[in-house]
Amino acid sequence: MAWVEGRYAARSVGRNLRRTALSVVGIGVGVGLALFMESVNRGREGLFARAAAYSGAGHLRVVPAGWRLRRDPRLRLHDWRADLEAARALPGARVAAPRARAQALLAMGTHVLTVEMVGVDAEVEPRAYRFVRTMAEGRWLEPGEAGSVVLGKAAAERLHAELGDDVLATAVGQRGGIESAMFRIVGLVASGSEDLDASVCQVTLEGLAQLAGTAGAGEVAVILADHHTTPEARAALAARVASGDEVMTFEEITPEFGGHLKQDAATSRFVNGVILLIVFLGVASAQLAAVLERRREFAVLSALGMGGRRMVRLVLLEALGLGSAGAALGVALGLPAAWHFARHGLDFSSFMGEGYSFQGLLIEPVIYADVGPWMVPFVAAVAFGATVLASLYPAWFAARIDPAVALRVAQ
Amino acid sequence: MRLPSTVAIAWRNLWRNGRRTGLALGAIGLSVTLVLLYDSVLRAYGEWMVETVTGPMLGHAQVHAVGWRKDRSMDRTLGDVSATLAALRRDPEVAGATARVYAPALAALGEEGFGVVVVGLDPAAEARPMGLLAGAREPPAAKRVLMGRPLAETMGARVGDELAIVGQGADGSLANDLYQVAGLVNTPVDFVNRQGVLMDLGEAQLLFAMPGEAHEIVVYGRDPDRAARLAARLASLPELAGGEVLDWRTLSPEMVALIRIVDVVWVFVLVLVFVAAAAGVANTMLMATWERTRELGMLLALGAGPGRIVRLVLWESVALGLTGALLGTALGVGLVALTHRTGVDYAALTGGGPSELSFGGLRWSMRLYPTLDAVDVLRTVAAVVITSLLASAWPATRAARLQPTQTLRE
Amino acid sequence: MGVWGLIRRASAAAALLACAAAAAAPPPPEVDRLLARLDDLYRSKSSVGRMEITVVTPRATRSMRLKAWTRGEEEVLVVVEAPARDAGTATLRVGDNLWNWLPRIARTIRVPPSMMMGSWMGTDFSNDDLVKESSLRKDFSGRVDRRSDDPPGWWLSLEVKPGVVGRWARMELLVSDEDLPVEERHFDRKGRLARTMRFDDVKLMGGRRLPVHLTLQPADQPGNRTEMRYLEIQFDVRVPDDTFSLSRLEQNR
Repeated sequence: MAWVEGRYAARSVGRNLRRTALSVVGIGVGVGLALFMESVNRGREGLFARAAAYSGAGHLRVVPAGWRLRRDPRLRLHDWRADLEAARALPGARVAAPRARAQALLAMGTHVLTVEMVGVDAEVEPRAYRFVRTMAEGRWLEPGEAGSVVLGKAAAERLHAELGDDVLATAVGQRGGIESAMFRIVGLVASGSEDLDASVCQVTLEGLAQLAGTAGAGEVAVILADHHTTPEARAALAARVASGDEVMTFEEITPEFGGHLKQDAATSRFVNGVILLIVFLGVASAQLAAVLERRREFAVLSALGMGGRRMVRLVLLEALGLGSAGAALGVALGLPAAWHFARHGLDFSSFMGEGYSFQGLLIEPVIYADVGPWMVPFVAAVAFGATVLASLYPAWFAARIDPAVALRVAQ
Repeated sequence: MRLPSTVAIAWRNLWRNGRRTGLALGAIGLSVTLVLLYDSVLRAYGEWMVETVTGPMLGHAQVHAVGWRKDRSMDRTLGDVSATLAALRRDPEVAGATARVYAPALAALGEEGFGVVVVGLDPAAEARPMGLLAGAREPPAAKRVLMGRPLAETMGARVGDELAIVGQGADGSLANDLYQVAGLVNTPVDFVNRQGVLMDLGEAQLLFAMPGEAHEIVVYGRDPDRAARLAARLASLPELAGGEVLDWRTLSPEMVALIRIVDVVWVFVLVLVFVAAAAGVANTMLMATWERTRELGMLLALGAGPGRIVRLVLWESVALGLTGALLGTALGVGLVALTHRTGVDYAALTGGGPSELSFGGLRWSMRLYPTLDAVDVLRTVAAVVITSLLASAWPATRAARLQPTQTLRE
Repeated sequence: MGVWGLIRRASAAAALLACAAAAAAPPPPEVDRLLARLDDLYRSKSSVGRMEITVVTPRATRSMRLKAWTRGEEEVLVVVEAPARDAGTATLRVGDNLWNWLPRIARTIRVPPSMMMGSWMGTDFSNDDLVKESSLRKDFSGRVDRRSDDPPGWWLSLEVKPGVVGRWARMELLVSDEDLPVEERHFDRKGRLARTMRFDDVKLMGGRRLPVHLTLQPADQPGNRTEMRYLEIQFDVRVPDDTFSLSRLEQNR
């Protein structure tokens, strides 16, 4: 008759309110900490995924077949308009940005600089590439204008050029010929990273076509609303792109980055493992401490004729009750903190400066904690896991108790 | 000897309830062990990052001719390198120093030329642990060169092939000669793998008409944290007059930033680890002390003063905290000592992470060598003792203020 | 890659042999005709010449002697004669392809397009001089600016025409009363002086009277300059068809 134990367990929890409160607070603090930690760790993964996506790579990229191996910026998509249509129609796609690239030499007088010139759709690009949203000087490109360029501030400095200047761009054309065109600097970008600012060189697709002698786009970068959906979105998009073009994920495009993500996830696992162990240990030992002091009580129950099996059930039910209350408190403690950092971000920039760039990715040292349905099983596992584990010993102890001995010991 | 001191009573008291004491000791000890293990991995991670960044290419300090870093001009060389190296090695803080030549060149197997960078180096010095050629089977020697594997794949080169190298000597003359590919290497440095032809330093000096000269001297210090001071001191050596000596932090701010952000995150987690451990210890102590209200009441009824009771409980907690912390420290330090030399595979530690990865143009082999500082231990022990003290003080003072009858009823 | 630029200037198109005698106070020149003459001064359908190039940097000075054949705009062959260490090294350019012949290792190596855009042999000429078809008359609109007394001649001021692809916004040309160039100042697109080219040592060579010594001086690197001296040159001579072939490149030289 489970309800008998249930009632007794409830009464026991209620009768010793202080002990119960202490248990619940202990479990709650532990669960809250673990929840917060996990939420921040999940957000950390997002930090790099976000940096990669908005630093130009996108979550997905449609590329011409053959680009995967050769990585030749001169390759063009077989039908970029069809690919772009397909990408825009993809459920969960936030932005689809067509781009074309060319290795170019910029010259201002006797000063020269080698850059990767990127031809973009002026309307879409600012939503796909974070750093051109705010211009340090001048303006962003107008749709369709062929003779304008937006440069990183450091690139302009190396060329000894300023806003409004005309620079000469030279590129190796499609058939190995050498092509040139003039571009006027209409805007300068300052991202905070010298490295990145030395490499930004954006023109319109039309401008790039004029220089390289080939129209079209070499890639369509797609940014998804949720980076966790990347594998499904990739499969869906791959089925729709023009034949001769294929879809790659940003981890495939920059395998180094994929490796880094894996390593980062591994670090998270380790860190979480340590935190969880400590939380488990804390909760379990506190529960044990409470139960050890109750041997006398168990002895009385045993003397009153309660069977071992029922006593085990009693102890486990108590544990479940405490676990539930602790889980609720843990959520009450951890969730607001996680929520706060999910909205406002956990900002490490006071330790770091503005941000740091890596391989052309500017990483803002702000972690947005991750809040989601994963929290329910997580909290349940931590709370019940620790309390039930901690009750196993007292339950076993209760089951095999000899009332006479127990009462003597408790005296 | 009127009465046994409170401390002695407290100590004896602890062992009266062996089960409770054992539990508290276990909780405190294991918490301390976990905190220390985390600390040791954190330190290992930091050292590993610095080693990976500085080991193969960067070193702890570099010497160049002024202006070389900006234009990489072939003729901006450091003269009389062997004298300079000898002078550098005389500094007690210098663990090693080696010279390199960097020369952009055209390499060809047949007619097609490919842009490469010839790196002239001292194979013995570069074979140091974590060095560029650590583990390379065949060092470059005389007319035998090594190629980065990706470069060799791009060019279609195989071991034994004859490679023509054409470049410009430091004196402006034309440098060209034929070499045999002695081996293909995957060094930890991406740029070397993609563009590098590795040549013996003497041979490179000969090819590029720069006898006894080099473009770069890499210095490894005893302690990477003191690299800035080392660089400043080395700069005043007469042999380095006219050279530019910079420490690795100045040379590679990007890597420093990377190390920084990872450090910050780990330290942030360390704080959480501490809080979690303290919460566990506090909860255990609170719980245990509270359950003793009846016992303490009994003591009160027997005429012990409230102050004595509080002191008694506090001494017990200190003894518990210290003993637990020491046990935990012993276990933690033991585990660290066990793994310090052999290292821990990060993949095993984290349950299936990559055992190596490339990032930032470097390959990072994921093996960590846990290490601890006395500060870590002291900090942890102090935190645990203070926590257990505070956690027991509250219920103890409360119990001491109650009427004996009240405590018995509780 | 300076050789190429200069050789280009010395190639193709018909030569104007007009060699106006200097008058005491001549009327201002007709700018268009003068620019056409300057464009064609070193050009011819084909040429064979020898020249000495000296590169001066703050740290070193080095010279080399070259022999060069050109035909049309697209074909150039250069063989190093001195210094002895590099003698016999040859470079062949046909269209956008560039090959090097290295006698010491008996190899021909094609230079990849990506490297053609880089600098070459550390001269102050840039790849732009190599790849650009520049024409003073077509790219610039000029006017006579002022009279120069020493040397007697005219300063011309040239503004780049709208839509022209090139690095220079403006040039100042000093042309002697002999209608020969004395100095060219190149101003970048911001109007800053970027470099100065000086022409001197006027001689009769290959049937033309022209400055045989050219000096290029970048404005912001006062310690650097590149000089080129024609030792001999023949214009519009017959060059054997197989001169610009790989098989010929690899033969002895």
